Amino acid sequence: MDSVKETIRHFILTTYLPGESPANLRDDTPLRKGGILDSLATLGLVNFVEKEFGIELDAYETAVDNFDRIEDIAALVERKRGR
Amino acid sequence: MDMTEEQRRLQQSAIAFARKMLAYDVIAADAAETFNVEAWRACADFGVLGMPIPQEYGGLGLGLASLLAVMEGLGYGTRDQGLLFSLNAHLWTNSIPILVYGSDAQKAAYLPGLCDGTRIGANAATEYGAGSDIFSMRTRAVRDGDAYVLNGTKMFVTNATVADLVVAYATIDPALGAMGITAFIIERGTPGMTVGGKLHKMGLRTSPMAELIFEDCRVPLANRLGREGRGVDVFECSMEWERGCILASCLGVMRRQLEECIRHARERKQFGLPIGKNQSVANRIVDMKVRLETCRSLVFRIGELKDRKEPAMLEAAMAKLHVSQCFIQSSLDAIQTFGGYGYMTEQQVERDLRDAVGSGIYSGTSDIQRTLIAKALGL
Repeated sequence: MDSVKETIRHFILTTYLPGESPANLRDDTPLRKGGILDSLATLGLVNFVEKEFGIELDAYETAVDNFDRIEDIAALVERKRGR
Repeated sequence: MDMTEEQRRLQQSAIAFARKMLAYDVIAADAAETFNVEAWRACADFGVLGMPIPQEYGGLGLGLASLLAVMEGLGYGTRDQGLLFSLNAHLWTNSIPILVYGSDAQKAAYLPGLCDGTRIGANAATEYGAGSDIFSMRTRAVRDGDAYVLNGTKMFVTNATVADLVVAYATIDPALGAMGITAFIIERGTPGMTVGGKLHKMGLRTSPMAELIFEDCRVPLANRLGREGRGVDVFECSMEWERGCILASCLGVMRRQLEECIRHARERKQFGLPIGKNQSVANRIVDMKVRLETCRSLVFRIGELKDRKEPAMLEAAMAKLHVSQCFIQSSLDAIQTFGGYGYMTEQQVERDLRDAVGSGIYSGTSDIQRTLIAKALGL
């Protein structure tokens, strides 16, 4: 789980938050509700997660309540991978 | 930006074609807001509609840079910018998304007709309450067995009155926001899809535009384009191509404007001298030249990137912003250079400005392009 979180965190930092300190992007930071990721960035993250972890997410799995914090996204990945 | 010998040849061929086959009375067509079906078919026969589509689907499989060279040639050779606008809408927002996101069955069913001119394509995304904020669209798609049922109204649909095929966007659930948007391919005659009243525009009047109304429009599951909830991927693909390419024909118009202004400035005499000997006139034409060259570089850069299968969203936004602004300014400068005659309909200079103003609005306004570029810069 920790490696999943770090992979997601690294992607967000390098793609959408260049120059931001990793310490400021916590596991429970609200990415969409907090205005860090807009619609297109969210789609980019969804596409990355699917490709990186070899899973497919349906529309409702990417709803903001399920797909907003790194810890929630990582948990979703683990569930989809059957772990 | 140097074209290859092949691209130059293609461009010259496009210019010759346009001068021969697209040289009708555009003043009258513009006034009557007439879409020229024969001209569309001629463009299809010439091969424009199939240029970016692989040969297996009836296209020519040419690279994007070559297509841009052709579009520039068409813009130079014809005065019917409305026709070219319709061609662009058909290519970038209908054919290309079907090519990129369509299933094998969808590609086989629709691309050949889109290439040979027997099917005209349209794109239905914008709504009354969802323009720049396109992802807030409210047209709803509810799954019902082996189909989706669509309800809602789309605005500003180019080619709506003549389209055989529409790529339309709807949300499966507004609460999902952008992640609920889904794309569909809908054929003319599908019960529940009707064309609303024709919309009358400032320019590009020979390109038909209307509302599209969906009332319990049943669309088979097999006609969903791409995955459910991934309509944004399809839409952004359209926009990346459209923003980068729709203004290629405008390069041709700007080149024609420049040549006509130079000729006029040399021939028109006032106070015993060609008006081009006045710095104020010459400088204006110099600026038109500089704009044209910077615009060509930006547009053809898109072609280079897409031919290498690299993303070009930032470059497309920059091209759209810069070329539209330059096109509008050069059109104003052309009118100013021609003076009173430039203001008259008969000279066909004023129509370029009316056509150009739309370029700062369609495919995402200039304000939106700046927002996209700022985000890409990390601002």
